[in-house]
Formats: sequence, C-alpha cells, structure tokens
Amino acid sequence: MTIDRARFDKGLTYDAYKAQMTRNRERFDENEKRVDLSKEDVAAFRALPRPVKVVVLAEDWCGDVIANLPVLGRLAKESGKLDVRIFLRDQNDDIMQRYLNKGQFKSIPVLVFFDEDFRELGHWIERPASVTEIRAKRRKDIFAAHPEFGSPDAPVDALPEEVRVRLQGELAKMRDDTTKFANAEVVRELREIATRVAA
Amino acid sequence: MTSAHRVKITYCAECGYEPQTLDLAKTLMIEFGTRLSSIELIPWEGGTFEVSVDGQLIHSMKREGGFGDSAVIKDAVRSRLTG
Repeated sequence: MTIDRARFDKGLTYDAYKAQMTRNRERFDENEKRVDLSKEDVAAFRALPRPVKVVVLAEDWCGDVIANLPVLGRLAKESGKLDVRIFLRDQNDDIMQRYLNKGQFKSIPVLVFFDEDFRELGHWIERPASVTEIRAKRRKDIFAAHPEFGSPDAPVDALPEEVRVRLQGELAKMRDDTTKFANAEVVRELREIATRVAA
Repeated sequence: MTSAHRVKITYCAECGYEPQTLDLAKTLMIEFGTRLSSIELIPWEGGTFEVSVDGQLIHSMKREGGFGDSAVIKDAVRSRLTG
C-alpha cells in the first residue's frame, strides 16, 4: 500500500471531517480553541520551504483524536503550509496496517507527513510518550493522596458510586491541568517531523 | 430464598466500546432475565473493559485481553447464580 496523489485526494479535508463527526464535536471545537501556539512555532511552520501533505487516520470516538487532531488543525490553519487529508480508520484498514503502533495496535490518531512527491518524512502516533509518562505519574499521585480510591490497578466498579465520581473528577482535572504541556509536546514533535522537508 | 445478583460492565467511553458493551448487556439480559437483579454500565476510561458479578471480576481486557467470549462470560455468570 502506498499513498499517492489519487489516494490522498480521497481523504476528507479538516473541515469536512469535522462536519461528518457524529460525536464529541463540542469537545473537539473546545480543544481547538484552547490550543495556544507560540509565534515561534507558527513561524517555523510558515517557514517550511515547501508545503507538507499530512495523511491522518482518525475516528470521532477516540479521546486522543479529540485531544490532538485540533492541534494539527490549528497548525495547518495558521501556517498555511500543511495540506491535511483525513481517513476514517475503520474504513481504511490498508493504511492502518502500515502504521500499527508497536507493530500491533490500531492506535489513533496517526499522522503521516509527506513531501509534495509523496515521499514520507515521518509519522506520529496517538500522543507523545512524555504525555503518557506525566499523566501516569499524576495518576499515581492522585491515588497516593486519596486512599479511598483504592489501588490504581483495582477494578473501579468495586468503589462506591460517590467515590468513583470523585475519582473521575480528579482524573478529569489532572488531564485538564496537563493539557497545555500536552499540546506543546504535540507541536514540538510535529514540528520536528515537518521540518525534515527539503528545500 | 432468591438472592440478588448484580452484574457490572465497566467500559472505556473514550475508546468506542459502547457496541461491545451493549451487545454483552443484551446477551445477559436475554439469557438470565430476572435472575439478575441489575446490570450496571459504568463509563470509564483508559482502555477499560471489565465485567464483574457480585463483586467478583470475571473478565478484564487488561487481564485476559479483548472483550471476552460471550459464551465464557455467560458460563461465569451462570456459575455465580447457581453457586
């Protein structure tokens, strides 16, 4: 399976993808508004010597898509240098099979960067490892600070509903508190790939 | 004396696991009817898919992998009901 111009053109534009979403659209739009791009990052993308094509695999039920695709959308809009086409994962398994996470998981979003001749510059999957790491640590801290939440590895259905709701609130707050860091890490990693494009 | 048997299905609401959750709930509803006192669906996160009966975990995606074979899960529920 190779991505060529004909296949690329079959993908949805960013706006068309948003228009066909059947769930999580509100969260997606909110995340898009919250992305805080630095002038320096925008300048780096604007300074790309040639436009970069980005093939994305996504689905609207996936939390990492809802969190991270808006970052790409804002970068594309503000730089004018990223040509994005989005493919629904479950309808494009041939592309998915080529970009499996650790060779086995169908993690999304997948972002594949190409130059104008469809030579691959690099690809990016799901979320930055640094984000997974910091959230795992914060999660551990939450359980350490709240013995009533029990063990982080125990089934949550054993918790009384009121405790479970509080745990869910703490986890949501932790994700919210780490969003700025997460978005900055996504931008940093995408910038590193996009700037591989040759002049 | 009839005792209450509760099933809880905890599923990752960020992962699109709703169809599998509803399929399993329907399977258990049809198979056991009023022999179950309740089937609770708990939306969660982090790739979770767990099934418990009366507080005993009978399937976990993290432990066994996947959504589980519904026949195996039915057998596990049945053994709790008759045990």
